[in-house]
Amino acid sequence: MFLSRMFNAIQLSPQSKTMVELLDLNEKTKKHGLVLTPDDVKTVIISRNKVLRDHGRIELGIEVTKELVEVFSTSPYMDQDHYVDTLNELHEIFYYLRNETEDKIGDMKLIHMMKDVFDGPCAGSLELLRSKMEEFAENFRRDMMRRESLFEGDE
Amino acid sequence: MELDNTQDGSRSVSNIYVDRSQLKRSQYVMSLLQEGQRVGLINSREAYRIQAGIIEVLQQLIRRYTQGESTSVTSETAEGIMVSLMYAMDAYALHFMEPEEAIAHLKSENVKTMHAKGVELLRQYFEDAKQLYQDVKKMKLDVPVDAYNMTIDESLPVFMNNYNIIFEAHNTMASIDYPLAIDDMRLQGVFYIKQYLERLQLETRFCHFFSHQDLMYVLTNFGKICRFDYRIELFNIFELMMNNAVFSLLSGGDVNQVRISENQYNRLNRMLTACHADQRAAVIHEAVDRLQEALQTDQALTRYMDLCRDELIQRVNNATENGSLERLVIREKEEREKPMVLMLNENERMSDVQMRKLVDRIMESDNTAKKVRLIRDHFASLHDYLDLLNSGCLFGDEYHALFATFEDIELAIFAKIVFYEEMRGDVRDFPDIVADGAEAASEWETHYIAFMQQLDDERIAAIGRLIDDIDYEEISFY
Repeated sequence: MFLSRMFNAIQLSPQSKTMVELLDLNEKTKKHGLVLTPDDVKTVIISRNKVLRDHGRIELGIEVTKELVEVFSTSPYMDQDHYVDTLNELHEIFYYLRNETEDKIGDMKLIHMMKDVFDGPCAGSLELLRSKMEEFAENFRRDMMRRESLFEGDE
Repeated sequence: MELDNTQDGSRSVSNIYVDRSQLKRSQYVMSLLQEGQRVGLINSREAYRIQAGIIEVLQQLIRRYTQGESTSVTSETAEGIMVSLMYAMDAYALHFMEPEEAIAHLKSENVKTMHAKGVELLRQYFEDAKQLYQDVKKMKLDVPVDAYNMTIDESLPVFMNNYNIIFEAHNTMASIDYPLAIDDMRLQGVFYIKQYLERLQLETRFCHFFSHQDLMYVLTNFGKICRFDYRIELFNIFELMMNNAVFSLLSGGDVNQVRISENQYNRLNRMLTACHADQRAAVIHEAVDRLQEALQTDQALTRYMDLCRDELIQRVNNATENGSLERLVIREKEEREKPMVLMLNENERMSDVQMRKLVDRIMESDNTAKKVRLIRDHFASLHDYLDLLNSGCLFGDEYHALFATFEDIELAIFAKIVFYEEMRGDVRDFPDIVADGAEAASEWETHYIAFMQQLDDERIAAIGRLIDDIDYEEISFY
């Protein structure tokens, strides 16, 4: 618990690195009509911290948050009205997937996979994305167990 | 490691004292930081710098752990890596003779360097442990003691092959069953394994002072005295050998003797009973000294035997006062001819397919008498019977009906299995053991115990006599 507090608690003053870096992303996302205000950034970070705590994870930086913003801003299904809520939900799905795939898939690969499914079969539906990702995690774990039992058989 | 090496538990460096009793072997650096701050050897700014340094190394290790693929890990993983990091830091701090010296290094060196040096030390200890393991393997005793053999042949290689110095240095990895005479279970990781191997090597070297026949003599008679199958029990071989060597000396035997005659035992019993506890301690002390001298034990073994000596004194005092000396002194137990040697041949077992077919037929049958007949006609091997009983194809009264067709000898064999724990090392008679019951591990055992309990006393006694006639060693239960 003490590690979680130490790593996941992020300073959110207007001058903090996190705030500046996330607001800087607006330069890239505004061409897609997506902008985060300082208050939005606070909401996203507070929600991210809660997700990390709920999923029992230690996060070293905000690279994942930045990547989610950048990658998903190019989706045709993102709109300014639901921007913050969508980002919060994407964090939730991402860290759920990290746990369920037992850290066997890298961050970037996972984010891009989520984006492909979100834009493709889910047509921008977060509920569908969640259920597709749950399905994926289940299959992934099953395959992993099968591979492990094959290895055990070799011994 | 002995931290408290001065009389008042403190030592001064530049007039500042560190209280050794406040230091913890398992969290050495943390306790140094706390104690260092308490006595004023470390100020709060320095403590903060060290802690921040530790967190920085932790971050680097986590990135290394995820191989740059991810910036997050589960809390358990992070905590595990943190413990491993501190374990390496402890290794570094512990290699200084004095805690003040360690504190001076904590203050002057950067954490990353100290961690790297700690890892290097762990690597050396691991290499030492590997070498020790090779030595122990070479001198391994030829004894049919499962825990001893499995520990050397299977468990220790698990450690040697899987120990992870960076991310799980604190993890002992292997489950070590064979108990040492004296073991420090507070240690973890390579510190534990290294110490375990050092002691196992000393113990094995001691056992090699005696002939193989003498070793087997002690083991088999120990099993008989305790009424258990010594091959599957957890006990320390060295301790038995050392104790008996001391008893032999005390009762007029030669130095490298472990065999004790009835006369010697009686003499020993008389002498120890007549003594006061202090006198007993003195004679055992002297006998151990003589043993060490005669066997020309080196410094390490001598010191280890000294540690065991105190344990032996305690045991002898307890046994003498409780009148249970005959269970401590291993001597030849009259070898009564076992009239029954069971031939339980693996080849007599039926194939899995046959077994499944029969179990299906038994399940389908709706008549108890028919079920029992099917079983009695087709089952012969003990292993098959155990498979059948564990398959759960019988219900309630059907168990009773099956057991009712068993001869005494068959019931006796099952008693060896069901009442094993109760009969091992127990002084009660078999009828008392049956009456008191046992903890059943499965449904059939519950029914078996109930069945036995309703038999008449005479039959139970007859079964009990048969149990004594069955040679344990001929039965491989599973």
